[in-house]
Amino acid sequence: MLSVKNLHASVGDKEILRGINLEVRPGEVHAIMGPNGSGKSTFASVLAGNEKFTVTSGSVEFMGQNLLDLSIEDRARMGLFLGFQYPVEIPGVTMANFMKMAVNEQRKFRGEDPLTAGEFLRLMREKSAVVELDSKLTSRAVNEGFSGGEKKKNEIFQMAMLDPKLAVLDETDSGLDIDALRIVATGVTKLHTQNNATIVITHYQRLLDYIVPDYVHVLYKGQIIYSGDKTLALKLEKEGYDWLINQQEE
Amino acid sequence: MRLLDYLQSRGLRANTGMCTLGDGQAWEIIVNPRSVERTVRGRLSLIVVHGQEEKAKMHFDLTAGASLSMIELFAADCAVECNIHQQAESDCRVVSVSVAGSKADYTIDLDGAQASNHMRAAYIAGGEEHTTVSLRVNHNVSDCQSDSLVKGVAGGKAVGEFHGLVYVAQDAQRTDARQTNRNIEIGADAKIITKPQLEIYADDVKCSHGATVGQLDGDAIMYMRQRGLSLEQARRMQIEGFVSDIVLHAGEIGEILAEELTSKLERL
Repeated sequence: MLSVKNLHASVGDKEILRGINLEVRPGEVHAIMGPNGSGKSTFASVLAGNEKFTVTSGSVEFMGQNLLDLSIEDRARMGLFLGFQYPVEIPGVTMANFMKMAVNEQRKFRGEDPLTAGEFLRLMREKSAVVELDSKLTSRAVNEGFSGGEKKKNEIFQMAMLDPKLAVLDETDSGLDIDALRIVATGVTKLHTQNNATIVITHYQRLLDYIVPDYVHVLYKGQIIYSGDKTLALKLEKEGYDWLINQQEE
Repeated sequence: MRLLDYLQSRGLRANTGMCTLGDGQAWEIIVNPRSVERTVRGRLSLIVVHGQEEKAKMHFDLTAGASLSMIELFAADCAVECNIHQQAESDCRVVSVSVAGSKADYTIDLDGAQASNHMRAAYIAGGEEHTTVSLRVNHNVSDCQSDSLVKGVAGGKAVGEFHGLVYVAQDAQRTDARQTNRNIEIGADAKIITKPQLEIYADDVKCSHGATVGQLDGDAIMYMRQRGLSLEQARRMQIEGFVSDIVLHAGEIGEILAEELTSKLERL
């Protein structure tokens, strides 16, 4: 589904990603962990096509296509979803209008008819239940005045609406209290099938109690320096990154 | 013009006339006026369409306790001067939308205690248009309230200008006045000029004013595109969102005004 080979990316003169390799197959959950500044969010942004970053070398194949050649919106329409670490407020644009346009643009890309008003409302109702999102929020402006927890739930709500092939969740657990974490994580788990895949970027093992990863990768200085199974996350939680980093530096 | 089409579908037959809209209110419609002079007693709901290039003068006298609700659309490069005089306890609400290189010049005189004025204006200027909104609110007596919000969008090589003045006379104590101007410049060739001013000669007042000029929010555009909207759709949605709180005050006509603004975005 996703094949990343020797990916290098920079912002300005500063190289942040220094040769990432990653294979993601349908049905898999990958966790990416690593100390601050290791390039986790940059990796997510580069996959999504954020123009702040320049890919200097390497390749990314997604659903059989060269991802790096595609526009931000075509990546999304092909089924790549990014859960933003800091969801953006869009004053004056209601969630309902925003989602209607997004869902119908993605349907158009797949050659499907737009949803009728009734179908759309039903979809909104059904999907907002996945993350226990207050249905009143859908008539409010996108993320405007939402609490931290609501913003993150809203990301997963959008993921549910758009039903992506690959979801990259960038620190969706940061800033959540225990209840919101459970709701968000359970929501992600409900959306997981054998046909889609998820990459969760996180600092904390606790998210992985709910979303059980098949692989855990450690990103450090722009490279994946170590990969393991779910037990790696527990070890990292207990022992930190030093043992890995020391091993790396030797 | 969408607004005229809509009003005609609601029974408007000539350039002036009455229309009953969905709110059950009878609205008076005036299209392409050269001169309007009115003394308002009781309540007047008015829709004014400036659809051709020319100069117009409008003058309203609101008697004590009167209320004027006016929706104004500028669809051509015209120059309109509008003076509104308000006596005690009168209330005036204006929603003004321009999709042309218009020059709108409002002077509001609050001449009786407890008069209130509520002004909402939005414009989108494109091409080589020059769109100006001037708004002078004179608090001539005590205990009046005014609240103005003007939002401007300039794209292409257009110029958008705002000249705002809140004047508070020496005896106009307990004045409550707010004036805000917010703008978006699209592209390097568009230009916004904003000059908000306060002139206060009384000491017991609550006055605020502010002006901002910004660009489209790149992070918001990235966010929308990541959900599948094209760059153009994302830009348009952001601008629609920006002006939405202006047209919100115009009831069912607000939706038509929003469409006028949206279709203008395609011609920037």
